[in-house]
Amino acid sequence: MRSYVLERQILRVFLHSWFIALGQSSLGQLMQTSKWGFALVEMAHLVALAILGGALLIVDLRLLGLVLKGESARTIGRDLSRIVIGGLIVMILTGIALLSEEAGKCYFSPAFRWKMALLASAVLFYFTLHRRALLHTDIGTPNFWSRAAAVLSLTLWLGVGVAGRAIGLI
Amino acid sequence: MSLLQHLCQLLNDSGFGTAIRESDYAYSIIESIHVITITLVVGTIAILDMRMLGFILRPIAITRIARAVFPLTWSGFVIMFISGFLLFWAEAAKMYVNPAFKVKIVLLALVGLNPLIFHTTVYRRAHEWETLHLPPWRARAAAIASLTLWGSIVVAGRAIAYF
Repeated sequence: MRSYVLERQILRVFLHSWFIALGQSSLGQLMQTSKWGFALVEMAHLVALAILGGALLIVDLRLLGLVLKGESARTIGRDLSRIVIGGLIVMILTGIALLSEEAGKCYFSPAFRWKMALLASAVLFYFTLHRRALLHTDIGTPNFWSRAAAVLSLTLWLGVGVAGRAIGLI
Repeated sequence: MSLLQHLCQLLNDSGFGTAIRESDYAYSIIESIHVITITLVVGTIAILDMRMLGFILRPIAITRIARAVFPLTWSGFVIMFISGFLLFWAEAAKMYVNPAFKVKIVLLALVGLNPLIFHTTVYRRAHEWETLHLPPWRARAAAIASLTLWGSIVVAGRAIAYF
């Protein structure tokens, strides 16, 4: 069986060059030199975190049957997904700007890599199995699988937050 | 030196304050808890505010959403207050002169005033309008004030580190 060593090496070089290019872009230059640029983007990132986190929390607590029992999980999920998607877009855009400040360093940061892996898993899960659990539960009491989906969703998103916080610390 | 400044200095120099400040992990861990709990406080109250503005969850009565959200907001607030106080304890002398910290305290006082006014006025007759898709303008004004103030508190809180 082939181990794709060379392919992985190429992909890694390719990705790293993207990070370097982001750091050297005009956005990166602005973030590195402007006194308040980084601070302002960081603030926007945090406000979006609050909105996104609150919406995800309410959806998952409904899926667990802990809040708004009897109200349609489908409606709550659909309505709040607008907030989730809006929040995610702001977080990703501001996140790219924050990354550009020291992209080369972030590429090697284990916290950053964990955050990206968890984010990808959380987003993928949110639009697939998590969505099915919301549709399936609707106005009823959640079954075991729906509760498991809510717990996994909360864990993944909390993981994204914790790993994100760790980028600046380790 | 004013009494308040003296008190801040005392807290700052106390054994516990010094221990948090000088520990390798304590300050960062408390700060991380403080940051992540933003979602629990600001995020949940924002859901209620956005419902009052008629953006989301229109089929659900406002009082129902309020009952679901308030326990979360309050438990988040307790965590926020304790972790925030510990962070203040460790850096009290610096905080006394930090402009962003002062702004944050004023904003927190204002954001506390908002529900006080809201609950004693327009929310008292919530049963008359709780199922409306678009609540009366006074409720919407309270929601806008809440969103603006909480957003500003997050911004001022982050700004503390830059002074």
